[in-house]
Amino acid sequence: MSTRDLVLSALFAAIIVALGLLPPISLGVIPVPITAQSLGVMMAGVVLGGRRGAVAALIVVLLVAIGLPVLSGGRGGLAVFAAPTAGFLVGWIFAALVTGYMSERLVKPEQSNIAQGVGFFIAAVTGGVVVLYAFGIAYLAIAANIGVSKAFFGSLAFVPGDLIKAVVAALVGRAVMAGYPLLPQRS
Amino acid sequence: MQSLYVDADSWMHRASPRLKLGALAVLGVALFATTDLRILAATLLAGGVLYLNVGMTWREALRRLQPVLLTIAFVTLFSLLFTPWHEAAVTVFRLVTLTLFAATLTATTTIAAFVDEITWAATPLERIGLVKAADIGLTVGLVVRFVPEIVGRYAAIREAHEARGLKIRLRTVLVPLVILTLRDADNIAAAIDARGIRRH
Amino acid sequence: MDIRFEQAGLRYGPQIALQPLTLTLSERRIAIIGLNGSGKSSFARMINGLAKPTTGRVIVGGLDTIADAKAVLGKVGFIFQSPQNQIILPVVRDDIAFGLKNRGLAKPAVEAAVEAVLERLGARHLADRRAHELSGGELQLAALCAVLVTGPDILILDEPTNQLDLRNRGRVETMIGDLPEKVIVISHDLALIDNFDRVLVFDQGRLVADGAPGDSIPRYREIAR
Repeated sequence: MSTRDLVLSALFAAIIVALGLLPPISLGVIPVPITAQSLGVMMAGVVLGGRRGAVAALIVVLLVAIGLPVLSGGRGGLAVFAAPTAGFLVGWIFAALVTGYMSERLVKPEQSNIAQGVGFFIAAVTGGVVVLYAFGIAYLAIAANIGVSKAFFGSLAFVPGDLIKAVVAALVGRAVMAGYPLLPQRS
Repeated sequence: MQSLYVDADSWMHRASPRLKLGALAVLGVALFATTDLRILAATLLAGGVLYLNVGMTWREALRRLQPVLLTIAFVTLFSLLFTPWHEAAVTVFRLVTLTLFAATLTATTTIAAFVDEITWAATPLERIGLVKAADIGLTVGLVVRFVPEIVGRYAAIREAHEARGLKIRLRTVLVPLVILTLRDADNIAAAIDARGIRRH
Repeated sequence: MDIRFEQAGLRYGPQIALQPLTLTLSERRIAIIGLNGSGKSSFARMINGLAKPTTGRVIVGGLDTIADAKAVLGKVGFIFQSPQNQIILPVVRDDIAFGLKNRGLAKPAVEAAVEAVLERLGARHLADRRAHELSGGELQLAALCAVLVTGPDILILDEPTNQLDLRNRGRVETMIGDLPEKVIVISHDLALIDNFDRVLVFDQGRLVADGAPGDSIPRYREIAR
């Protein structure tokens, strides 16, 4: 990996960590404050693309594993991986990978603002919700021994919040692409 | 950022990290291989004893595990709706035991030791050209180095918003935060390359 | 240690950053000045190999910046403009030591080298501080330690006083005066370089003046008007 790519991924990992340290921010439209860390993972994909976004998420997972309290609430260490929700953490890597690769293919600088926003949103939902929940639900079903359908229905409550995060990620992706484009372009 | 390592001296602290990680992996498999509540209870007790003797106050020790234990409790209660109590008990014992041993490992192994282990484990990957093992230590250092800068930048952006009487919206804060942070990447990369740090 | 440009030029696609140039730098204190976009940064970066010439070649101490890139990096240290992006590990001491990694040195040797450079630059008090708590001037001093610990023969400083306050500017000026290494400075700060051995003036990718400060600096002022 080029030094620049490594630094970009590391800096975004630092952004994800920083988002976990900050108090929850309100969205403006909805009065409920939202913790931004999983939003940070979607953003890594839409801003950096698949490879670097996945590396950024991987770095965060690594930091948790080695004993740094980088998850929101000061959580960290190997105990986090023992929790039944661990799939939602490790899944970040694949969520960023898919969001990133889809962004690279769906979104072009020449498109209209709306087209870009929609493209990023689809990428963010596919990666940050579909893929992430696949990993989360699978591990939850096994570790908590409750079976896939129970795990699935139990996790549904969190989907609306994550859909909102996908919207925010799409808007951020579009704005960053206009201001400081980094997304590798693939057709 | 304070690490979760507890600076004390016990046989667990002195044990080789590789051995501890290997043992944890074996334990993980073993826990899921048995459904005998007595064995699981015994291992849970063993885990508890180990964890509470790591060098922390019991209060601090429990505080650390609070989020994970709460999640386990919540999921167990949820599962009690569908599974017989015996199965739910097996699950709880397994997960809590794993949690205790994992937390013990984290508390008795330094970040540097972990980085060394991961670097060692990554050397076969280096041979197939996937990663450069030495980059792992650099990457961990880079993140820890720049997190405070980013938090400071967020505070500055917030301040600027307040000064202008703007409400603090996620989007208007995140976009400058991301752009300003990533703009530094080129300079940081140039400094790293100029020092020949990644020339292996 | 001589630096030779042999018809060395730099272009990015259709854009010419530096017209092909032939000269030899052997003086002890050399300044590079010019307006933004004049090619001075490209010129400086071609000396340590951060930018590779697209025509001709650059030879540093007998080493080609393309063929012997790694060895050239060992000979030339580069200090960049923004101080906080040069210290890349949380604690200053670790950052300085990191530059010596991959050199096959034993731990005691590394520690000794770090102590030596801290002592030499009067930076002992910074060793165990965390980078994000330091001021611009302190970071610049730490960066200087990090770059000099590997013992380069040539030091290039890109606008070293740009982001510093008056007191720190004075410190840097004194420090540059004391360094035994060959020093090349890119600077807008004309007072910093007025006693240098040689001043090169760049304008729009071309070298337009080359000589003593008394001759070159007025030429720069003309261009800047």
